[in-house]
Amino acid sequence: MRRLCIAVAILSCAAASGFAVEPPPPPQGPPPYETSCFTCHSELQMAPTENAREDIHFEHGLSCHDCHGGNPLAGADGDMDAAHDPAHRFRGRPSRQQVPQFCAACHADATYMKKFNPTARVDQLSEYETSQHGRRHAAGDMKTAVCTDCHGVHGIRANKDPRSPVYPMRVADTCARCHNDQGLMGQYGLTTGQVADYRRSVHAAALYDDGDTFAPTCNDCHGSHGAVPPGVNSVANVCGTCHGREGSLFRETAMGRTATLDTAIQCTICHSNHAVLPPTDDMLGVHDGATCSGCHQEGDKGYQTADRMKRTIVELTNGLGEARELLERAERAGVEVGPDKFELQKAQDALIESKVLIHSFDLERFLQVAEEGVAVAKAGIAAGHGAFEEIRFRRAGLGFSLIVIVAVIGALLLKIRAIERGGDAR
Amino acid sequence: MNGAAGGSAGKVGAWLEERLGLSVLARFAREKSVPVHRHTIWYYFGGMTLFLFGIQVATGILLLLYYRPSEKEAFESVQFIMTAVPFGWLIRSIHSWSANLLVFVMFAHMFSVFFMKSYRKPRELTWLSGMAMLGLMLFFGFSGYLLPWNALAFFATQVGTEVAGALPLVGDFALRLLRGGDQVTGGTLTRFYGFHVAILPALTTVLLGLHLLLVQKQGMHVPEAIEAEQKRSGEPPKVMPFVPNFALRDAVGWCAALGVLAVLAALFPWELGEKADPFAPAPAGIRPEWYFCWMFQLLKMLPGHVLGIEGELLGILGIGAGGLLFLLVPFLDPAGGSPWRGRLFTIFGWVALLVMIALTAMVYMPAGGGR
Amino acid sequence: MTEPGQGKARRRFVNWFLGTSLGALCVSVVYPVARYISPPDVPEAQTSRVVAARDGELKPNEGKIFRFGSRPGILVRDADGGYRAYSATCTHLNCTVQYRGDLEQIWCACHNGFYDMNGQVVSGPPPTPLEVYTVNVADGDVVVSRA
Repeated sequence: MRRLCIAVAILSCAAASGFAVEPPPPPQGPPPYETSCFTCHSELQMAPTENAREDIHFEHGLSCHDCHGGNPLAGADGDMDAAHDPAHRFRGRPSRQQVPQFCAACHADATYMKKFNPTARVDQLSEYETSQHGRRHAAGDMKTAVCTDCHGVHGIRANKDPRSPVYPMRVADTCARCHNDQGLMGQYGLTTGQVADYRRSVHAAALYDDGDTFAPTCNDCHGSHGAVPPGVNSVANVCGTCHGREGSLFRETAMGRTATLDTAIQCTICHSNHAVLPPTDDMLGVHDGATCSGCHQEGDKGYQTADRMKRTIVELTNGLGEARELLERAERAGVEVGPDKFELQKAQDALIESKVLIHSFDLERFLQVAEEGVAVAKAGIAAGHGAFEEIRFRRAGLGFSLIVIVAVIGALLLKIRAIERGGDAR
Repeated sequence: MNGAAGGSAGKVGAWLEERLGLSVLARFAREKSVPVHRHTIWYYFGGMTLFLFGIQVATGILLLLYYRPSEKEAFESVQFIMTAVPFGWLIRSIHSWSANLLVFVMFAHMFSVFFMKSYRKPRELTWLSGMAMLGLMLFFGFSGYLLPWNALAFFATQVGTEVAGALPLVGDFALRLLRGGDQVTGGTLTRFYGFHVAILPALTTVLLGLHLLLVQKQGMHVPEAIEAEQKRSGEPPKVMPFVPNFALRDAVGWCAALGVLAVLAALFPWELGEKADPFAPAPAGIRPEWYFCWMFQLLKMLPGHVLGIEGELLGILGIGAGGLLFLLVPFLDPAGGSPWRGRLFTIFGWVALLVMIALTAMVYMPAGGGR
Repeated sequence: MTEPGQGKARRRFVNWFLGTSLGALCVSVVYPVARYISPPDVPEAQTSRVVAARDGELKPNEGKIFRFGSRPGILVRDADGGYRAYSATCTHLNCTVQYRGDLEQIWCACHNGFYDMNGQVVSGPPPTPLEVYTVNVADGDVVVSRA
């Protein structure tokens, strides 16, 4: 009781100021559905109490008054003022301006959050304040996103609940609510269509078609609360969090180390930012429509590198395909080719590694691996031809045995004739 | 014959003769003769069937030195034979091709005997044992086909045993007996192996022994029409000694068959296919071996229901009835019976043969009954 | 017909021809059969077990690629001297993995996939673990077999 009075006193001051972030008292009072708030508001059908049962706060024993204040024990008889008691630090409905601080009252307090989840992060507000959404919000723009726009208001579900608007499979749709609205985005000079681009990408295919929730969606590259497009020089780092080898190779290149917007070449230049399509061999090279020839002209070093890389990749791919086909045919014809197929795996490894090494833009390094692969493929082709030698040997054997058989038949016929003409049996 | 060699051979021969008394057989062989007329060529088919069966036994024994009759290892062991064992590809391909040649030659032998009416008295038992062996050879083919445990064989066996299951009264029992259970499993494989290498060879040995014994005892049958001609001409009927004339000619045929097998095995090696996966859906176009195709096609062509009876059942019963007619022909068309009965059965035989050929052709033609 | 002498010579030739050609036929039948019966170098299909190495060939904390059928396998001798074997085909894009003694993990160089000593994915793009094989040491041979 004494603690409650002290708390009420402190919080009354806080309520008066309105914005201060103070630790609220630990959940006290009746279970969620038995509060006067709940009773009245569900009767009056005000505030979406129907979602309350799925709300993660309710699941943890918190109720209306833990966020909104007020007296949960009074007012069930209809006395609104008793329930909406400022002495119980009643805050009512926070304005859009107040929302971040409102949520952060608990979510930025490590001591408080630890009671519920020892590993919970408490930096969402500070991250938000670095983001475009947060900065504009601080500047007074109320059209920009606040916590409730993405997480919901009541009926907030855990992030790992598939029905939550921030579940990986639903994040893109949640962002699209604003970022696909041309009227809204136009006011900021932003384009729409990122979500449509993303939906075409290989990341979206992995997420939606394969159901791989580790595949990246908007927040994996842009951040969850500190949403900001990766800076020009950090794109390789961002992509490199998953595409480790390509990222580290690229960072070592000259292209990876340029500083300005005009000269910075990063992953997205070749692979696009949102519409990341499966990379094909067609992207490499100097022909029309190749990615490299978009910037490189005939005569410059990049052009020659791209050209040579492309030729080698094609040589390796074709050689590998030819070797495989020869060996398959030989195997079907009955020749043992297990060891040769095994050796061919090295060429397959080399092909994959070469494609990664393209990102080093270092022709020598690339050729070291790729040309070894080409040699293995050539050996495989030779082995395939050797297998057909075996088949030719068999046919030679057949020819020989046919000669013998025809000779026997001839001898038999002669013998028959001799017996039947000559008249004696031996 | 060399005198010195003949001396020591003669001593060994005399020693054996005292104990085995085989000179009876030698005399019999010397005296045996074969009638010579325009249908003599058909006399070679029985021996050819025997020769090809001998090839099957020899190559089969060689194969079972390396083959493993379990679901896990069967396919791999055949692959091993095909790729790692020296000349394994040859032995296996000969075994598969010779099986097909054997069935073909056996049907030719059966039909030639049928049309020459050699089943009549006193050769009824020869005919019955021959028909029984025909069934055994077909079962040899059916059981052997599964042994490589590849996808095609697996599904063909499924379909084939399904048909057995459609028999009235005994269907369910027959299906379970064949499959070793309700489904085609590794148990079916082992069971078919047992049929293929033990039970069927044992039965064949008995029947073949009887068949050959009877043929030696009763000699070759000359068709009545030719006998009549010979009587009319007044000349003594032409014959050739079995040893060496007929035997040498037989040998020519056998060598030719060997040559054909060598060509087929070397130029058209028998495919291995893919390992059977019981959980995969049946591939399109499964069908049994060609010698079952005519039955398969007939069953496919019949309408679903005929006068209230299931079409497939009717087909099976029809085929069974036809088979029974063939089996009992020595008693239905005996010697001394009316000539029009003889003609009826000849016509019946031709119809059966042509229908079987036509149905088989339909399965292999793209536009026809097809897949 | 012809003179008796010529007839005899002819008969002798026919007999010789028959004998020789039959002999050649026998040889061309017996030779493949004899080769077939004598066991090949590899006595059975190597799809379910294979000798991956001699005992002692690998030092502790060392790995080796071996052939299992037509696919690669990796044999690892861990720091305690025990043997472990896995499929060496990375489950991401089928590159061949290698053993990293410094990390005591299995690593795929193509896209930086890491597997622990149970074949489980530790980090990187591989979606599923490596298939683990059974290893036995018999008569100085390290034998790897698949269930």
